[in-house]
Amino acid sequence: MAQVKNRLRPFFENITFDREDNELVLNFGPQHPSSHGQLRLMLHLQQEQIVKAHPDIGYLHRGMEKMAENMIYNEFMPTTDRMDYIASSSNNYGFALAVERLIGVEVPRRAKVIRMMLLEINRLMSHLFWLATTALDIGAMTVFLFAFREREYLMDIIEGYCGARLTHAAIRIGGVPLDIQDTFISQLKTFLDKLPQNIKDYEDLLDSNRIWLMRMEEVGVISTEMALSWGCTGPMLRASGVAWDIRKEEPYELYDEVEFNVPFSDKGDNFARYRLYMEEMRESAKILYQTIDMYAKCVKDAETELMAHAPKYISAPKLDIMTQNYSLMQHFVLVTQGMRPPVGEVYVPTESPKGELGFYINSQGGPYPYRLKLRAPSFWHTGILTDLLPGHYIPDVVSIIGTTNIVFGEVDR
Amino acid sequence: MAQHKVNYTQDGGLPVALTSIDKIVNWGRSNSLWALTYGLACCGIEMMASGASRYDFDRYGTIFRASPRQSDLMIVAGTLTKKHAEFIKRLYDQMTEPRWVISMGSCANTGGMFNTYATVQGVDRIIPVDLYLPGCAPRPETLQYGVMLLQKKIRANKAGNAQKPKRLM
Amino acid sequence: MRAYTPKDDVQAKAYYTDRYYVAPQVPKSEVETDEVFAADLAAIKARFEVKEAYIQVEQMVIFINPHDIYGVLELMRDELAYTQLSEMSAIDWLAKDNTFEIFYQMLSMTKRKRIRVKFFINNGEAVDSVEKLFRSADWSEREMFDMFGIEANNHPFMKRILMPYDWQGHPLLKSYPLEGDEFAAWYEVDKIYGKEAREAIGPEIRDTARVDRYDSERFARLGFEVPKGTKITGDEPRNSQEYQEEGGVFLIKKYTKEASTIVDDPQR
Repeated sequence: MAQVKNRLRPFFENITFDREDNELVLNFGPQHPSSHGQLRLMLHLQQEQIVKAHPDIGYLHRGMEKMAENMIYNEFMPTTDRMDYIASSSNNYGFALAVERLIGVEVPRRAKVIRMMLLEINRLMSHLFWLATTALDIGAMTVFLFAFREREYLMDIIEGYCGARLTHAAIRIGGVPLDIQDTFISQLKTFLDKLPQNIKDYEDLLDSNRIWLMRMEEVGVISTEMALSWGCTGPMLRASGVAWDIRKEEPYELYDEVEFNVPFSDKGDNFARYRLYMEEMRESAKILYQTIDMYAKCVKDAETELMAHAPKYISAPKLDIMTQNYSLMQHFVLVTQGMRPPVGEVYVPTESPKGELGFYINSQGGPYPYRLKLRAPSFWHTGILTDLLPGHYIPDVVSIIGTTNIVFGEVDR
Repeated sequence: MAQHKVNYTQDGGLPVALTSIDKIVNWGRSNSLWALTYGLACCGIEMMASGASRYDFDRYGTIFRASPRQSDLMIVAGTLTKKHAEFIKRLYDQMTEPRWVISMGSCANTGGMFNTYATVQGVDRIIPVDLYLPGCAPRPETLQYGVMLLQKKIRANKAGNAQKPKRLM
Repeated sequence: MRAYTPKDDVQAKAYYTDRYYVAPQVPKSEVETDEVFAADLAAIKARFEVKEAYIQVEQMVIFINPHDIYGVLELMRDELAYTQLSEMSAIDWLAKDNTFEIFYQMLSMTKRKRIRVKFFINNGEAVDSVEKLFRSADWSEREMFDMFGIEANNHPFMKRILMPYDWQGHPLLKSYPLEGDEFAAWYEVDKIYGKEAREAIGPEIRDTARVDRYDSERFARLGFEVPKGTKITGDEPRNSQEYQEEGGVFLIKKYTKEASTIVDDPQR
């Protein structure tokens, strides 16, 4: 068959040239190296200044909420990996916690400790990735290479645990599937001992860097009212003067037993957010040191349970399935038909590296959720660009998008 | 004048290598594959990781370019949605011949786990693909292996005008 | 005879449910058991009609009238310190009684409490926009319109947000199949190449379990790949998976596995 020309019109035909004002409409994305995914911005410009910004999203909309309505609860777990793919385990955890609250099971302590370790490792991975990409966007190639080097070490640890680098699916409803491997603690300790020096290296490169300061300080200022009104959470909110961390305020897992600070700033600009990410990495390291001790105590107390005991909802341990008839039957039913949680609804927020990650589940007693709404923080962090960008200049767009730390798997779901 | 060390026992005693046009052109093409940064989703992160410190993509001559006009390899890394489909066609049309496409990850290959209304079931419905990388997400090693296989494929081709432009239709 | 599938709900269904199975309920408790919630509820009840209120999984759920929503959220924001609208969306009950359930998830950071405000609207009705109170509702309401077709009155820009502007259908309705309808199946082909290209490109292959050994185009022949369109006889040679050709490559050093080193400790 002969070559058929495609139907797409050239770009300039979409733009009206006979405008009366001096505004230029600039299309940014959806495929742009510093749009952190598939963000499309229609920017109205007066000279180099933005007068109107119109973020266009949905270029990575994959229909996850619809998928959830057609999947049994355990089946949906790997899909949550692909939401915030920088820190997969935190999504797994958010979903697992929501279902656990719905069915009302309590997770064994050892599983809780392992979950906390995974969550904090994911937070470190996410923040290191944020630092790398934002620095790259602004032109600091060295920091990109440094931060990715450290991130690879963390990925080795995670890979040793669950076998995957990026899409972990490391947490199950009711606990964790496996105990951590032998080398986990030693590798983690090696990493954590080096981390303060590494963070100091980044700071030495960036904190007094003239270009970095010029593009960060007093750029992209978000006031407290604006952050609250737009539903900002996580570092975006804390940089705007509200010390709100769900780990601290509505503690889940064992976060009420560990000691850590919630850094916050009242500046609200890019630089405040950058400082906040650096401080949060230090706090995560602090939590990880404490969880190592907690894990050692679990081993000493011979707490070996990794999955909650709830035969109606959660399969028995593998040994029981292989040896006991009833456990095998129950496992078969749970795998083929799925668990049937009680009728009711639940909204569970967790503090993911990006902010408040919430899962709203409406169950009608069937094996499929009737409605599952994913409350992803990045969605609103992208929305705020509508009000944040006007007044800024074109080069600021990249640094502002960088510090909002948006991930499009999460924005578009 | 620069002093070259010349091995007079090889290649007729001259610091030259005799070869065919095909080989020298393909050598150039296969070892300077400039890839378009087409990170769409999760696989894009692994693509970045393979460009970063540990996996060091530059040693293959693969440098990421942001403009389709400067690149001759498109690594489609991630889920292609129906809303995005027209843009991938636009960018592919802007790339200069000869051009190659690597479809990275299950989503780009077949739609993968996202068997839903919003995803294109395989990027090969929109543009012709040279190499499919399995995995969700493929490791950076897989991408490196894929690029080496693509280099092998380029070397096997005739470099002259006989190479027909690839068309989907 | 083909099994009957209802048109108003085409989502996955449990293929077997025990006829004596009665689903348990997630426990609800009285609002009076929590004094903060009780005070908030009293403040709302003083001004607006509250149809039902209870506490479920540590969060209060209240049902109000649809036209009160702006007033209730304004009261909660200004006087009860519920300063953030975390989330809002809809639930499709069209198959049951032709209504949508709309929920607004509110958060108070000073009281550390969360309230879910809910109401029902009939199919075809619009909700009042709360975009003036919470800017985050701007995008949430657009998403709700995109996914369910529920419009919001007084919204500044009531257009689709996730799906393209020229999309047909609202994906999260229960009557919309997971794999999309006829329009969705051909959307990208029609848009890029035109309708006449449908035949050349072919329909989408949605069956993920399909393996065809005679298929020379897709992925059923790993290791035994053949050029496109080759007739498969069954005795194809195995393709070599080597990085480089046997005879070496012009100007490039030969890669040997023996000469490479394996790093044991990645953190060295």
